[in-house]
Amino acid sequence: MNIIVLVKQVPNTTNIKLDPKTGNLIREGLESIMNPDDLHALEAAVKIKDKTGGKVMAVSMGPPQAVDVLTQAMGMGADKAFLLSDRAFSGADTWATSYTLSKGIEKIKDYDLIICGHQAIDGDTAQIGPQVADWLDIAQATYVNDIESVDENEIVVKRRLEHGFERLACKMPVLLTVISELNEPRYPHMEQLISACEQKAPIKVWNAADIGVKTIEVGLEGSNTHVIKTFTPNFKRQNELLEGSNKEVVSDLIDRLKKSDTTIAYRL
Amino acid sequence: MTQPNKSRSGKIRSNAEDMVRFTMANFVDKEIIPVATEYDNKGEFPQHLFKKLGKMGVFGIRYPKKAGGSGGNTTLYCIAMQELARGLLSLAATTAMQCLMATNGLYLYGTKKMHEEFLYPALKGDKMGAFQLTEPNAGSDLSAVRTKAEKTRDGYVINGMKTWSTSGPKADFHTVLCQTDPSIGLRGLAFFLVPASTPGFSYSKPFDLLGTRTSAISEIYFKDCHVPVEYRLGKEGRGLGVLLKILSEIRIMTASLALGLHRAAMDDAIRYCKEREQFGKPISKYQLIQAKIANMAVNLEAGQLMVDKVTHMIDQGKECLNLASMAKYFTVESTCSACDEAMRIFGGYAYSMEYSVQRYYRDNRFLLSGGGTHEVLQTTIAREILSR
Repeated sequence: MNIIVLVKQVPNTTNIKLDPKTGNLIREGLESIMNPDDLHALEAAVKIKDKTGGKVMAVSMGPPQAVDVLTQAMGMGADKAFLLSDRAFSGADTWATSYTLSKGIEKIKDYDLIICGHQAIDGDTAQIGPQVADWLDIAQATYVNDIESVDENEIVVKRRLEHGFERLACKMPVLLTVISELNEPRYPHMEQLISACEQKAPIKVWNAADIGVKTIEVGLEGSNTHVIKTFTPNFKRQNELLEGSNKEVVSDLIDRLKKSDTTIAYRL
Repeated sequence: MTQPNKSRSGKIRSNAEDMVRFTMANFVDKEIIPVATEYDNKGEFPQHLFKKLGKMGVFGIRYPKKAGGSGGNTTLYCIAMQELARGLLSLAATTAMQCLMATNGLYLYGTKKMHEEFLYPALKGDKMGAFQLTEPNAGSDLSAVRTKAEKTRDGYVINGMKTWSTSGPKADFHTVLCQTDPSIGLRGLAFFLVPASTPGFSYSKPFDLLGTRTSAISEIYFKDCHVPVEYRLGKEGRGLGVLLKILSEIRIMTASLALGLHRAAMDDAIRYCKEREQFGKPISKYQLIQAKIANMAVNLEAGQLMVDKVTHMIDQGKECLNLASMAKYFTVESTCSACDEAMRIFGGYAYSMEYSVQRYYRDNRFLLSGGGTHEVLQTTIAREILSR
């Protein structure tokens, strides 16, 4: 079975700081890492490969330095890697990104299963997986937290829903987005990691022409949404200590809440 | 992570040195640092972490793939040791020995059967190896080695003892320096592989140590231990040569351990001096604290440059024993100073076993003697320079 895993290089923080003037991400001092959910996607893929045979191929879209997450993926057991990298891809929203990734996957052709992390920590959209499935016109199962069985024709997965679980049997090819409780990702093996840094390592770099896309279809030009402004919400709190007896304090508090626009929900 | 390499053919590849450092740093931050103080307090070796390192292929990092290794080199080995020592020096030292001194003779001179029985399992972390030089009257002076290997019809019989045997009670096999002919001194030395299961092999109770308390260090004893002739690692009388082959690497590995410990002490000191407030401001705002941080940072950077230079020379096959000695001497002295300064920055809290800084201060003493005492190193460094 051939499995494609989508991986993304993201800044290593869940508390991203933005430049208040420009709205841009402050990248200084931020280390780049593989998106945490993608580690679980890779682990799942390598485990399936160990069971069924075949190949794991890691695919990423990004600047040249994103090759590091592909190297890490190969250290964890991916057999090949593809970096979709072109200046024309920059500034892409999820629509243009998923289109680019789907064209790369179409060029790879030979796949049965695509696994992605549920979402990336730098965007939190959770849109790429489902959109890629849509572009490729294949089935999808999101929020996967368990893979119960897998063979060449079918995979049975468990999805976490808001109030329970759902078991799905999916015919191949199918795209899964996975969440962190699925597994414990392995650390890269030194031999595989070092081999992935060698010139002969099977890592391909494809630009827009290689995957057959026009520059107006990708990157900023191909995006349907444009970010006008990003900002950090102001969560400043005002503390005030009410003084007096319990009765006075409670009465004072109720008066203040009534005067404010605060909606108070209560249950009898 | 890194600035990738771009070759003439336009291929984009990651930098192996950065990838190894990133991977090891991630392992240290997630797996070692959270439990390091607990293991040190208990004086218990973190066996499960040793196993994990084996599973990651760390023990084979400096061996070629065809020998069951990971296909790296001395530079990558030393980077891995720097990161491990940042987490827990005793685990790093045991790992360093497993990667180099305990297995190198076996790799170079062992038979295929010995590789299958000892080397491959050691590189996977399924067996632990150890390296035994020191005796009550022999250490820097190897001509005083008294553990004797006497030739028999089908092998050797070993009698004697070693002391300060790291992993003595835990190792599955030992690479042991023995004297085959006391009358010719250094020219009679040879290394032997002695499995711990050999009849006549025994060990003492582990020593109660000042630092590196998770290491099991003891005396080990050989009483009529019979080993087959193929367990002699190298020719008779070539023991010193076998050791000299890896002496630069041993010294630069020790320097690498020092760099990791230095970084740990500095990182903790920086974090603490930014948090601790006195007279209405963080103590990092005071110039005397800043001087300590500056000294730590400058020495760390200088030490890193020395270590990088030597590891790259070793990988290029260049002779660099004296530079390796200088790097070991400089980095370890700097680390002792950095750990002392970190203790001072922590003030009274450094005296509590709760903070890791006291462990760094105790552990740094291990590096003073391991890999060559500084009293001997200073002499050999000067002697080489004066002889030019």
